[in-house]
Amino acid sequence: MLRPMGAVMKGTTLRSKTRAFVIMAAVIPVLALPAAAAASTLFGSGSSAEQPILNVLFRGYNRQHHKIRFNFLPDGGNTGVKDVQAGRRLFAVNTRPPLPSDSRTTQFKLFLDGLCVAVNPSNRLSNLPIPQAKDIFTGVDTNWGQVGGSNLTTTIDPVGRNSSAGSYTFFQSAVLGGATQSSNVHPVTSDGLVATAVASDKNAIGYVGLAHSGKSSGVRTVKLNGVGCNAHNIKNESYPLFRFIWGVVPSTHASVQVEKFFDWVRTSKQAGQIISRAGAVPAFNK
Amino acid sequence: MDEDGLLEEAYGLSQDQRAELLLGALVCVVVALLVAMIAFVFHEAWPSFAHNGVGWFGPGGSVDGQIQAIFTSGELNQVAVWTFHAWPLIWSTILITAAAVAIAFVGSLFVAVFMVEFAPDRLKRVLEPVVRLLASVPSVIYGLLGVLVIVPFIGDHLITEHEKASVTPVIQLSGSSVLAAVLILTVMIAPIMIAVFADGLRAVPRGWLEGSLALGINRWRTFWKVGVRTARPVLVAGTVLATARALGEAVMLSMVSGGVGFSPNPADGLIFLFEPSRPLAATIIANTEQLSSPPMKHTLYAIAAVLLFSAAMLSLIGWAAKQPMKRYGVIA
Repeated sequence: MLRPMGAVMKGTTLRSKTRAFVIMAAVIPVLALPAAAAASTLFGSGSSAEQPILNVLFRGYNRQHHKIRFNFLPDGGNTGVKDVQAGRRLFAVNTRPPLPSDSRTTQFKLFLDGLCVAVNPSNRLSNLPIPQAKDIFTGVDTNWGQVGGSNLTTTIDPVGRNSSAGSYTFFQSAVLGGATQSSNVHPVTSDGLVATAVASDKNAIGYVGLAHSGKSSGVRTVKLNGVGCNAHNIKNESYPLFRFIWGVVPSTHASVQVEKFFDWVRTSKQAGQIISRAGAVPAFNK
Repeated sequence: MDEDGLLEEAYGLSQDQRAELLLGALVCVVVALLVAMIAFVFHEAWPSFAHNGVGWFGPGGSVDGQIQAIFTSGELNQVAVWTFHAWPLIWSTILITAAAVAIAFVGSLFVAVFMVEFAPDRLKRVLEPVVRLLASVPSVIYGLLGVLVIVPFIGDHLITEHEKASVTPVIQLSGSSVLAAVLILTVMIAPIMIAVFADGLRAVPRGWLEGSLALGINRWRTFWKVGVRTARPVLVAGTVLATARALGEAVMLSMVSGGVGFSPNPADGLIFLFEPSRPLAATIIANTEQLSSPPMKHTLYAIAAVLLFSAAMLSLIGWAAKQPMKRYGVIA
């Protein structure tokens, strides 16, 4: 007798095959649940300037609390706050003080950082008064010959950030006096890219976080109003562009694990050591 | 007696009829998804068009300033600002796409003709896989090569200090420019065009070419006047495909085209090649982090709607261009 093409397995029916499939489809997700419940991932977003320091802090915390992992999206400080307000993220990290528009969030000072102004190492500029920094980034001064202390006589190539960056908002209020940066400032999308752009162009100048302007970054920071951009001057708040790094959580139903993490960052000794080794300045740690 | 035979009797469907229904259902699902996606994009884009009218496509002030105003108005819970005049972005897209497609078309046609007809066998065996490999390289790799090699080269060696000083502080000539964008985009879309053109040229009936050769016409003229002419619908199809890819190219262009909303002006002479700009798709990428602000979200969807519409128009133009070619019996 010829076997019809539909029969695949001897002795099984369509109904029993369907039943087997449904049981498998129900069992497999149930098996996956225990594995997922073991570790919890805390989702955050915000400043790209602080990302190097945050990554080390996340790892340090994970070494003590093995079940807590972090996932951080560096989409800019201002965007991070919006993410928390909209409930998309459990926490955010921002580099500018709270504004009235940050409603429904609670913000904690975590540690100190500085926004440095950096030039290419072949530029001998060592000190920049803040009004002149404003002139450069608003397009009033366009040639290095107009800037005292620089050995170059070529056109200035300013590099900056775009409006989703907390660093831009901070620079705008602290240096530009609220003015928009000029259209000849080349906007790049993250802090690290500012350092890369300045390191590859000898006529460039840019504002970049302390973490991305260290010895191996390829850029040289300049003194602002005679004060250098380093951990010591930031800690005693003599450097003009010092800023607190803020942790942002929702005002209602904030995650307890995130709040514990922020407390650890603010007050514990290991966090203080991690912060100073990573290039920022611990503010409240013992 | 097995159950499948019973099913067949109960529903009267044979196995191939069931397969046909299943595939038809899948096609309907895909089409429904596409229609839903287009409807969603246009629905989200509508507020931006409604507030700006036809002026959305025209010039009017600094487009980067407008983008920042739109973003901050949504972020700081102020009255939403909607003013947006996208002409610099549209002009940049038209400029870069048209230049790249024009240059790539000429180059690709000659390479395809060589590859199909005039290349020795050994060379043919090498060229064909190489072209197909190049067509599948992800565009971010081209972007990386552009940022690391082409942009610094243009910035250090082709742009003079005098040119830079003449345009500062309006724009900064840094190497990311129209020239870099057109160069890399041409290299990116050429392999697709070569592959499509070569397939079309290979499909020309052998007898037609042999008949022409038998009449005493030389190889070059035969191939050009008979072969390429027959393959004209394929040339159109290849160009449409490459233009669609160029229009939608976002990642690579955001890295090398300059990143500022500025309309390059051909009347500037040589400097025009070095001016930065930012096409539509690159604008979406540069501002994705600002989607949290509602007016900004609708503005970005409006840009996406313009890109979708141009892709649809491109297909229509391609179809319309092939209609007159049907007269000569070519398979269009």
